[in-house]
Amino acid sequence: MIAEEQVLTQTTDTAHKSGEVVLSVKQATKKMGNKTIVDTLSFDLRQGEIVGLLGPNGAGKTTTIRMIVGLIGMTAGDVVVKGTSIRQDFAKAIAEIGGIIENPEFYPYMTGNDNLKQYQRMSGGIDEARLQEVTRLVGLEHAIHKRVKTYSLGMRQRLGIAQALLHKPSILILDEPTNGLDPAGIREMRDYLKQIASEQGIAVLVSSHLLSEMELMCSRVVVIQEGKFVTERALGAAVGEPDAMRVNIILRVDDTERAKAQLVQMEDIRLLGLSAERGQITISVHDSDIPDIVNRFGNEGIRLYRIEEVKSSLEDEFLKWTGGKQHV
Amino acid sequence: MSSMMGLVTNEWLKMFKKRSFFVAYALIAAAIALMLYVLHAFSSPGQGMFLPNIMTMVLSKNGIGQMVVVLAIVGIAGSVAKEHSLGTIKLLLIRSQTRSSILTSKYITVLLYTLTLCLFAFVCGWIGGGMVFGFDIQGHTFGGFLESMLYLWIYAVVYATLSFLVGILTRSTGATIGIGMFLLMMESLIVTLLSRYDIVKYLIFTNADLSVYVNGNPPFEGMSLAFSSTVIAAYLILFLAAGFIVFQKRDVA
Repeated sequence: MIAEEQVLTQTTDTAHKSGEVVLSVKQATKKMGNKTIVDTLSFDLRQGEIVGLLGPNGAGKTTTIRMIVGLIGMTAGDVVVKGTSIRQDFAKAIAEIGGIIENPEFYPYMTGNDNLKQYQRMSGGIDEARLQEVTRLVGLEHAIHKRVKTYSLGMRQRLGIAQALLHKPSILILDEPTNGLDPAGIREMRDYLKQIASEQGIAVLVSSHLLSEMELMCSRVVVIQEGKFVTERALGAAVGEPDAMRVNIILRVDDTERAKAQLVQMEDIRLLGLSAERGQITISVHDSDIPDIVNRFGNEGIRLYRIEEVKSSLEDEFLKWTGGKQHV
Repeated sequence: MSSMMGLVTNEWLKMFKKRSFFVAYALIAAAIALMLYVLHAFSSPGQGMFLPNIMTMVLSKNGIGQMVVVLAIVGIAGSVAKEHSLGTIKLLLIRSQTRSSILTSKYITVLLYTLTLCLFAFVCGWIGGGMVFGFDIQGHTFGGFLESMLYLWIYAVVYATLSFLVGILTRSTGATIGIGMFLLMMESLIVTLLSRYDIVKYLIFTNADLSVYVNGNPPFEGMSLAFSSTVIAAYLILFLAAGFIVFQKRDVA
């Protein structure tokens, strides 16, 4: 319970617009033999947000996703979907979830439409109009009556989205959805997910190892490593330490030694690097300190050519969180 | 209930939409046609070949019936295994349906498919045999033929259920067909080898064919129609329980 409390407060700190919590992973644990693949992992998913599940290879992303959708059993913990436990009432909980687990696989000898009808019969309450609606939504009208074995990967991926949305779920869960897609396909997928998240308020959970992709798509990331929760961050605004609100800047000056002498006199400035040949000093400061620096340099006659902000990318952050030992 | 109808429809369509679906029926029809042709060409008119003889050959586990059982094993082997090899199991199990209802729908489809094969053989034998040798049933009853077909169906269901279990355990269509056929072929050998021991009475292989009781000859002393029916039921429950437990617990990775 205590750990849960902590996660919740952390979420409210970082999430900008916090909708209703539609899915919570609570202390989910998976052991296989004596190996713990996922270890007391907890996080929430809110209405209308796209959350990325990040982690190095073997961190337990896929296992976590498969536990959420019930493909893999949990050793301990629970997943609660809109108040219903996936372990207590699977059929009710899963009705709120649409999923694409890795590349979506269909019956190749059937048409796209026949495949969708399979899932229509399994869910109930889906009429012919809804079938056509999702087909149109993913732009497969022209190919829906062709056999799936003639489909390209991109088309299968779109049919995958169609089957996931068919029963009007409030949560979409995607495991490595951009695997094997070309850049155009990835972009299409990304735009599409953003659209349904903002327009229909569907919460999306995506796992991927493509960091740049996650950076463009997600409003928040949950980072896990070796099955354990590492951190979660809101994206879009400042990526970095939210408490300090520091920025890293590069100053280009004519005399790095004198500039350094001035900077060390100021409080609360961290010197990160100095390159005399290039005339550059890298420092970490608060915004409010920058005019002071400019004043001091002006008074001392140090010529200041340039001030550049060093933006740390999600990749840098990620490597910091996960210790940078393992590649992604 | 209507949701189960939908699930069974799904399973049926998964078999029916395959181009190879009609091959099994075509093979049965071809085998019966060949049998009729050979019997007609090589039997002299006075030999007394009538429709009841044809129906016995069609519905016996040593005649066309054996082929029906083999085709049933081949046809249902992919029911669970193919979902794994195609990868469709991932999308199948994340629906608002419990795993047990999904597996139930698959088993119902296995029963239905096996029944259609038996019915098809029955109809082909009846029409073909009647056309070649006349529709005189020589004092037999139509109900008696239906009873023989029912026994063939039960015999086929025993092997289909066993193969269904193997399919769940191995997740491989090839292994399922192989093991299913192997057991079918070994049936008489196993019974012969163990015939000295009392345990032979309790083997599924000894009891699977209920048609032996039509003429009142139990294969071993102390066996009866009721006895064999009970043994078959017990084995089927055992196979299904094992299959359901494994399917329910399995992690789909």
